[in-house]
Amino acid sequence: MRDHFYPHERNDSSVLNELESIEINLLLEGIYRVYGFDFRHYLRSSLQRRIRNRMNAEGLPTITALLEKVLHDASFMKTLLNDFSINVTEMYRDQSFFRAFRQEIVPLLRPYSELRIWHAGCSTGEEVYSMAILLHEEGLLDRTKLYATDMNEQVIEQAKRGRFQLKRMQSFTKNYQLAGGNREFSAYYTTDQEHAYFKPAISDNIVFAQHNLATDSTFNEFHVILCRNVLIYFDTVLQHRVYNLFHESLTQRGFLGIGSKETLLSPFKTHYEELMPCERIYRKRLVQSNVNRE
Amino acid sequence: MLTKLKFTIRSKIAIGYFLIICCLGASIVIVTDRMAALQDEVAAMTSLDIEAHHSIAAVRFDAVSMENGQRGYLLTGEEDYLEAYNTGKTQWEVNYNSLYTYLSDNPNTHRELEEVKFAIQSWVKEVAEPTIEMKRNGDEEALSAFLQANSSKPSINDLPEKFESLRDKEIQSTKLRILELENRNRLLTLSIYILLFVVTIIAFIIVAFVSGLIVRTIKQVSNTITNIASAGGDLTTRIQVKTNDEIRDLGEATNKLLASLESQNWIQSRVAEVATMNQGISDLPTLAQSFLSKVAPMIGASYGVFYIRKESHEGQRLVRIAAYASQGEEGGRSSFKIGEGLVGQSAQDKRFFLLNQMPEHHAVITTGLGQTVPQSILIVPIEYEGKVEAVVEFASIESFTSEHLKLLEEIAQDFGIAVINVAGRMEVERLLSESQMLTEELQAQTEELQTQSEELQMQQEEMRMTTEHLEEQNLYAQQKTKELEKTKRELEDYSARLKQSSEYKTNFLANMSHELRTPLNSILILSQLLSDNDNGTLTEDEQGYAKVIYASGNDLLKLIDDILDLSKIEAGKAVLNIDEVNLTEIPELIRLSFDHVAENKGLPFHIHMESGLPAIWHTDGQRLQQIIKNLLSNAFKFTEQGSVTMRLDWASPIEVDQWLPMYSGERVLAVSVTDTGIGIPLNKQQLIFEAFQQVDGKTNRQYGGTGLGLSISNEFAKLLDGNIALSSTPNEGSCFTLYLPNLLNGRRHSVQQAQLEAAASIEEDSHVLMGWEQADSNSSAAARAINGHEELLFKGKRVLLAEDDARNVYALVKALENKGMDVIVAGNGKRCMELLHADPEIDLILMDIMMPVMDGFETMKAIRELPQLRNMPIIALTAKAMKSDRDKCLEAGASDYISKPLQMDQLFSLMRVWLTKQVGQS
Repeated sequence: MRDHFYPHERNDSSVLNELESIEINLLLEGIYRVYGFDFRHYLRSSLQRRIRNRMNAEGLPTITALLEKVLHDASFMKTLLNDFSINVTEMYRDQSFFRAFRQEIVPLLRPYSELRIWHAGCSTGEEVYSMAILLHEEGLLDRTKLYATDMNEQVIEQAKRGRFQLKRMQSFTKNYQLAGGNREFSAYYTTDQEHAYFKPAISDNIVFAQHNLATDSTFNEFHVILCRNVLIYFDTVLQHRVYNLFHESLTQRGFLGIGSKETLLSPFKTHYEELMPCERIYRKRLVQSNVNRE
Repeated sequence: MLTKLKFTIRSKIAIGYFLIICCLGASIVIVTDRMAALQDEVAAMTSLDIEAHHSIAAVRFDAVSMENGQRGYLLTGEEDYLEAYNTGKTQWEVNYNSLYTYLSDNPNTHRELEEVKFAIQSWVKEVAEPTIEMKRNGDEEALSAFLQANSSKPSINDLPEKFESLRDKEIQSTKLRILELENRNRLLTLSIYILLFVVTIIAFIIVAFVSGLIVRTIKQVSNTITNIASAGGDLTTRIQVKTNDEIRDLGEATNKLLASLESQNWIQSRVAEVATMNQGISDLPTLAQSFLSKVAPMIGASYGVFYIRKESHEGQRLVRIAAYASQGEEGGRSSFKIGEGLVGQSAQDKRFFLLNQMPEHHAVITTGLGQTVPQSILIVPIEYEGKVEAVVEFASIESFTSEHLKLLEEIAQDFGIAVINVAGRMEVERLLSESQMLTEELQAQTEELQTQSEELQMQQEEMRMTTEHLEEQNLYAQQKTKELEKTKRELEDYSARLKQSSEYKTNFLANMSHELRTPLNSILILSQLLSDNDNGTLTEDEQGYAKVIYASGNDLLKLIDDILDLSKIEAGKAVLNIDEVNLTEIPELIRLSFDHVAENKGLPFHIHMESGLPAIWHTDGQRLQQIIKNLLSNAFKFTEQGSVTMRLDWASPIEVDQWLPMYSGERVLAVSVTDTGIGIPLNKQQLIFEAFQQVDGKTNRQYGGTGLGLSISNEFAKLLDGNIALSSTPNEGSCFTLYLPNLLNGRRHSVQQAQLEAAASIEEDSHVLMGWEQADSNSSAAARAINGHEELLFKGKRVLLAEDDARNVYALVKALENKGMDVIVAGNGKRCMELLHADPEIDLILMDIMMPVMDGFETMKAIRELPQLRNMPIIALTAKAMKSDRDKCLEAGASDYISKPLQMDQLFSLMRVWLTKQVGQS
């Protein structure tokens, strides 16, 4: 965080007392060294709240105690990982985004004979299933490979099963309808008493994998990258890294979709054309210019 | 030029006027002089004239008085007369001399004058003097003689004539003079005019020259100004004035104005440039960087650093966020406290610092070729609302000009707002993402809380249940004996009733069988007799009819047998006789039945038996035969050419795992029947076996009796704990394989249980004949047992079905009731509303769209208008492929939709979703 010039720094510093700040640094450093999860460039305010929550839940007096626990108890790391990765998502979240994608982006994708879409930070997979259904309805799913990645293996496992609680399905159905879906949503899943399962026809073209935006590099070239409401938890250094990664991973004229409340870091604004500013859908410009500013 | 004397417009005009007045004065002097001379001449001439006249008159008078004196004396001799003569004699010469002077300039008169003089003198000398002398002497005679000889003597008498001629001459000369004067006078007048004319011309020339001098320069100036104006304000043009006067002053003043305007303009355009650059930048480092890259070249700075004020826990600091041509980290300190160093001081005092002549060791400007020390350093604070927001430092190899300073001042004024704006925007963006983050976290926490509270509720529920359970157990324990006794009695009772009912049923079936077979048998026998036509009384056609009757009757009989078989199975009456079956006998038995069929159809019929098979197999031999026969008759029925093959073999472990997982790892018999018939398309394959379970028997009928036969075979196979697999390709043939386990003792418990259940369901249901339709097959019963929870989800749920088609209503009601739901049926929308008004305690509504009286759309709208039913799940049943209908459904208020013909699995999925209490619902 040494090159940090942004105003929120003062908030952090005013709220965090120095000791707590050091402890958090140690905790994050320890997690990174032992488990390889790099939270060092996550926003402190959010991390701090979640660490405090976990401390309260575990009845631990200090963050150092938490550090000790996590260093010696690998299973506790999973708990902490779940705490740190906010897995809030739903199908067709921000219906206007999917509606816009269907109406504006899909026509632009039709000419491609083969499509690769990357859902970075897919969490429990709601978004990637939503996208797969959308592409299925638009007749694009057969030639599309969807890559859904998250750093949290547990949620990836969950996402892989394509299993969602029945008690969330009504709102998913409503979202689907609002997002411009006009077929029978019920045709895509089967149920048992507690869960709905998406049919293989939908999930066959989805590849789930663990991938950490903070540490891993690119693994393919994609026509579309969606990374919605993930970067808000990162500081600018990490955001910079991730935007760089995305820019490298996009094909010429590829599409980048980010969360409705997020903004593209200004150094990258020149590399993209704002296709749909309201929905935060950008298109990579043809000119290949240097992104590396670091 | 500056030393040159100033020649002002005033002096120009004054000199002009002066010159004109001079000319006028000179001309007046000349004229007056000329006139005075003329006048003098006239006066002189006049006085000369008068004098001359006087003198002439005096001389004449003298001459006359001398003559008179002489004469008097001569006459009288009196001396008195002589006196007059003497006076005349002295006087006339004086007078003559003056006359002579008067007339001396007139040579014409000289002769006359000389003649007069001579006449007088000669008279005096020759006449007067001698006569007087003679008188005095008294010489009278001489005198008289003298007087007598007068004629030759000079006389004075012709003197007046002489004078007259002198006078004439004199007048004449005067007249000449006057003429001359007049000429000169005329000349003078002319010369006055000429002079006037000349003076006027000179005046004009002067005026033209002077005004030209003034107007030309003014025009030049005004032209230059017009040019500047018309050239869109090209302020680089300057006014050139060659004269050294007020116009030059004006020009210089204008030039000064232009220069100041140009510099102002330069500043303004630079300020505007900087201001436009500010737009669209949303973070401070970029803003600062572009500010430096923009401003530094403007002011010729070769080095620049941008510090921004930051609040930190140590107080306010100025932190470097951008640099221009910097030397990396060493190129200037990264931060200052307020008041620290000149940068800090500048922020504190809000003033500029301009330093010139830097010492050697000051920051250096590096180029590719070397380093130099800056000449001048400029530190500029950027303020907003009286607060310094940023400080910029520039260094240059040259000195900064006042223009640069002015420019920076201007820019600094506006730039403060830009900095504040961008900082504000960044803050807003940060807050926005923070809020988003908080929202997400909140959501996550809410969900967590929700889960926790749900867990808590469940725990509570569990505890409550446990308590209740304990109480119940207590109670139960007390009543246990009683209950047991009662149960025992009831069981006995039930068993008796079951037996009775079973007996009734058996009787009924036996009767049925008898009652149906008896007439059918007679028909068969009679029709066969007829078709034999032993008497030869029937025509060929009639014989054919009889054969048809016979064949149809046979089919009917087989059908009845099948139905009875099936109902027996369903009723649990299909008693199995598990015994040792000699497998080696089977081919023999089958050949007995089918060889002739094969012969009739002209098809080769092969039976293969694997050599390693045991001779004895534990199963129900009769049922086994029935299954094989069914499969074979089916095969022959649909095969026109090729062959039919039956094969007895071991099932491979994979097949066992797939078809009989219960017997995984054991040896299983596989009996396959392969034909080369029409085959069964893939989508129909499942139907052959599953059609029965799906209530709808219609599809089966198109396969005729064999279809039923297959179903029965399937049921039998399941009774025997076996299974039938089908693989088929249309137009190439089918292969049915029966997998049969070796049923040693105790192996059939699952079968028996299924049978029992089936029996029980029949017991509950009064539709005995529909038994096979009502009761689930073994497998679905088993499925039901597995999904025990599902029953909980559906059990007791009240579903309102709005549908007018009786067949659909019937099928749906049956299906839903099987799942344990209560179904209320409304034949149309109006009825539906009535029912809802009477009893709104409904869990879910299934709404057909096409209904009489009041259709689905209207009904859904009406339902949604009732506040208490706003959240009621309504599933619309729409016709397939009508997209517009779906949109209309959602518009009308449907929660979801499903298209007809209904896929029951999908419907149940949908109902599970809409019957499950949702997250966040109370």
